[in-house]
Amino acid sequence: MKKFVSRREILGLIAKAGASGAVLQASNALGIVPDSYVDIPKIPPADPSNRPSVVVLGAGVAGLTAALELKKAGYSVVVLEAAGRAGGRNMTVRHGDLIDEVGNPQICDFDDEPHMYFNAGPARIPSSHRNVLHYCKELGVELEFFINENKETYIQDDAMLDGKPIKNREFTTNARGFMAEIMAKNFTNAELDQPFDQWEVEALMRALRRIGDLDEDMLYKGSIRGGYSHGGFLEHGHALEAVALRDLLKTDLFSMALGQNEGETGPMLFQPVGGMDQIIKGFLRKLPDEVFYNVMVTSVMLQNDGIEVVYEHKGIKYKIEADYCFNSIPTHLMTGIDNNFSADYKEAMAYPRRGEAYKSAFQAKERFWEKDDIFGGISWTNQPIEQIWYPPHGMYKEKGIILSAYNYGGGMHFTQLTQEERIETAIRQGEKVHPNYRNLVEKGITIAWHRMNHMLGCSARWQKSRSGFTQEEERLFQTLRQPAGNRHYTIGDQITKHTAWQESAILSAHWAINDMLTRKSGGAMPGQRV
Amino acid sequence: MRNTRLLFAVALTASIAGLSSFNAYAQQYAAVDTTNQPLSNEVCATCHGGEGQGNPVVGGPSLAGLEPWYLRKQLENFRAGIRGSQKDYIPGNEMQASVARLSDAEIDDLVNTIAGWKVIENDHTIKGDLSNGEALYANCAACHGADGEGNEALGAPGLVERNDWYMFRQIKLFKSGYRGVHPDDTAGKLMRPSAQALKSDQDVNDVLAYINSLDR
Repeated sequence: MKKFVSRREILGLIAKAGASGAVLQASNALGIVPDSYVDIPKIPPADPSNRPSVVVLGAGVAGLTAALELKKAGYSVVVLEAAGRAGGRNMTVRHGDLIDEVGNPQICDFDDEPHMYFNAGPARIPSSHRNVLHYCKELGVELEFFINENKETYIQDDAMLDGKPIKNREFTTNARGFMAEIMAKNFTNAELDQPFDQWEVEALMRALRRIGDLDEDMLYKGSIRGGYSHGGFLEHGHALEAVALRDLLKTDLFSMALGQNEGETGPMLFQPVGGMDQIIKGFLRKLPDEVFYNVMVTSVMLQNDGIEVVYEHKGIKYKIEADYCFNSIPTHLMTGIDNNFSADYKEAMAYPRRGEAYKSAFQAKERFWEKDDIFGGISWTNQPIEQIWYPPHGMYKEKGIILSAYNYGGGMHFTQLTQEERIETAIRQGEKVHPNYRNLVEKGITIAWHRMNHMLGCSARWQKSRSGFTQEEERLFQTLRQPAGNRHYTIGDQITKHTAWQESAILSAHWAINDMLTRKSGGAMPGQRV
Repeated sequence: MRNTRLLFAVALTASIAGLSSFNAYAQQYAAVDTTNQPLSNEVCATCHGGEGQGNPVVGGPSLAGLEPWYLRKQLENFRAGIRGSQKDYIPGNEMQASVARLSDAEIDDLVNTIAGWKVIENDHTIKGDLSNGEALYANCAACHGADGEGNEALGAPGLVERNDWYMFRQIKLFKSGYRGVHPDDTAGKLMRPSAQALKSDQDVNDVLAYINSLDR
């Protein structure tokens, strides 16, 4: 016999769905729009006869930002990059590109066409990330809109509707309808406690009726906003049958279906035309002689009046001395490089956990999603692939690149599989969302950031608990943010409270430059107090 | 079309070549078959430190000073999955993946290269009771030698100038059955019961403190 759930229990269930959604959002760094403003450091022009020198370690977004601003002010700048490419986690993979995963190097064999690329790292720029957009403008990076939420995509959960995917619009319409109905029914109770007047009650009821498409009796019985079963143009449209709330509640993807359209992933988002690394190319156009590749730093030593960096290139060691060092090497790798930092600073470097984000992509032999009215957006599933992204560019071209998995946290599931297992898993799980997926995709590539050479991690994970920074974590963070010996700055999104975003990387470089300027002008003595 | 070979010439030092081939299935779906593609020679340094001094944060031990026979054996064990194939010990699993495709010639190359590295004095990170450690070490000395000099015939590596944090982890792995359980890990199977003789973390710390005292 079916167990009937009381309305109160349903409300409890909804609260539960909301709560788990909040946790998901926190772990995905979504749902909040942190404060960000454009305040490019005002660096006094350097005396050309006595130019301060800066060595920047790492040619990712943070390192290139620091290098560009300091160069503009007349500083002598050198950027040392361990990999054979610039960009760090800003990485666009195209035909012929190497994915330098330790133990699993891959070369991308996508068709060689401008729209056939995959943004393996950052892939969307929120409109609130004003500093990224500032540099796009300054560097001549052409932007287009990125579509993150698209109601034509799917929600799929093995526990819901026998695992059959359901269009996001259908899911959303039904969920919203029932929630409006429940709220309307319960409002009479709420009235007893709240001093609403008749007009307010009527206004709320009108709003609920419209939000949820409720009928005259304030009941939800389906809506054309969920989609038509048939008709709609030449014939009368018939709405799809309503899906029971009880069925919808079987998935924890409630919040992903309903909550992607706000906060940092809400409209408008942008992407550079032709790939996220257009930003890196823009920086490199302004830094044509400053960046050196395939350079492994072996030692970073504070001196009394500067800093000494030793690096190795093609088996030969070189030493470089500079007034300042801006270092974006992941702290968990910096602990394996000789240095003379204080014990406190070393302790802080060793603390953040390596991020384990994982992405993979296929070349699609045809843009099958477009036949399903999907142009951009994300399908959500409870399987480890979690997400399928459809390219918001290259519409109606023959082929496209589809993101076949994006696991931001707990991504070790894929990382530990062989390449063959990763590809097969992505196909098998994708088949639950798109029938015939196996025959529609080819040339899979995978990015396990935990194992990418010279990085060994996605964004730094400072917090061991989801409830925020502990006092101890705050202390370690502040220790690492302060310059070592007034000469060495750790930069990158790793030293921000909002890791994994390019905006954070840029702001970390600005923070370090401003701190350096403050100390210089404040007459602080270089070197460490002894 | 970009010239991938040229890209590689710039991006990589082709010191290592001849990777084992993917199976036919992978060739159908994987991006390309990377057989014969050079592997970055900088892979080791990423985990084992700029000078091979080790990096406790990512779990990569120091390599400088490892006996060539021991290094070779471990590379072969990792390659064959005798060591490191258990996925929930992340550093071991990473190492396994990193060397899974090495050829014999590449292992020769690595062993010869690392043999030339100068030994780096490791920081001692473990404190313990030296006299208890010395008493416990009597059991270890049978294989690893009275001065921790190691014994190739028994497959027991030298213990001096090794990272104490690394030895701590390995003893724990032997104790819990992550190491020394594979049927083909002859030396490891000898080590497992010896590790289990160390009853507590304090015992492990004590014996490691004593081993540290054997460093030059």
